Amino acid sequence: MDRRTFLKASAGAVAGTMLANQLTSALAQTQAPAALEGQDLANLEKGLQQVLGKGFKDMTVSQQVKLVAPTIAESGANVPVEIEASLPADQVKAIHCFSDKNANPLLFTVILNGVLPYYATRVRVAETAPVRAIVETKDGKFLMASQSVRVTVGGCG
Amino acid sequence: MPINLLVRFSPAKPKAGEEVRIQIVAQHAMEPGTRRDASGKVIPADHITELNVLMDNQLIAQVKPGPGTSANPLFAFKMKASKAGQIKVTCKDLTGQTGEKTADLTLA
Repeated sequence: MDRRTFLKASAGAVAGTMLANQLTSALAQTQAPAALEGQDLANLEKGLQQVLGKGFKDMTVSQQVKLVAPTIAESGANVPVEIEASLPADQVKAIHCFSDKNANPLLFTVILNGVLPYYATRVRVAETAPVRAIVETKDGKFLMASQSVRVTVGGCG
Repeated sequence: MPINLLVRFSPAKPKAGEEVRIQIVAQHAMEPGTRRDASGKVIPADHITELNVLMDNQLIAQVKPGPGTSANPLFAFKMKASKAGQIKVTCKDLTGQTGEKTADLTLA
């Protein structure tokens, strides 16, 4: 095979795999949220049931919830988290925040009654795990956004 | 010792209808109850369990932090500055300590 045909063939192959990757990721998004680093659903499920009386499958992954957290935190003892929902203020009842691997997965609950659907704070993350922001709406829906936070020094030990 | 709270508005004097950020900082160690001291004993949990934000004596937000909130935590909210009023923040922790702080929201 000469160089030109080789390049053509490989370009085709690369484009093909990229397309396939895009297809699978699109599929993954519609079916289930992609697995995140350090995910521990068993522990999270326990916390969700305790606090909300709902399981992980009742959460809807939504673009309307914006979660801002660092992907890498030097210290897990002080991780800034910012949650904002692009919903009318009167539709949001509460904002919950969980971290999968904390001994107590619930980080905080905020009940909103007149302020805009926004909350910022600093949390402790025990070890590398997803942080999950859950926005509870007045009509009983749970909208979720997740992000993996890699922790080099734990915050609870 | 009562819990020391700091309240700040950003912008300090919002225009009517503008979004204002209410930033609250509590001076508190927020012990999660999982840490050990130098001799290996578990430091008992002592963290803020409730923080209320009131505007003109009406509850507008309530935070229930778990042990997973960092030391000297920040609590930030946003609201529409429709009218001037008094913001009152109250909080209490696991050992029964309380803190209270008021701040006046004035419009430009």
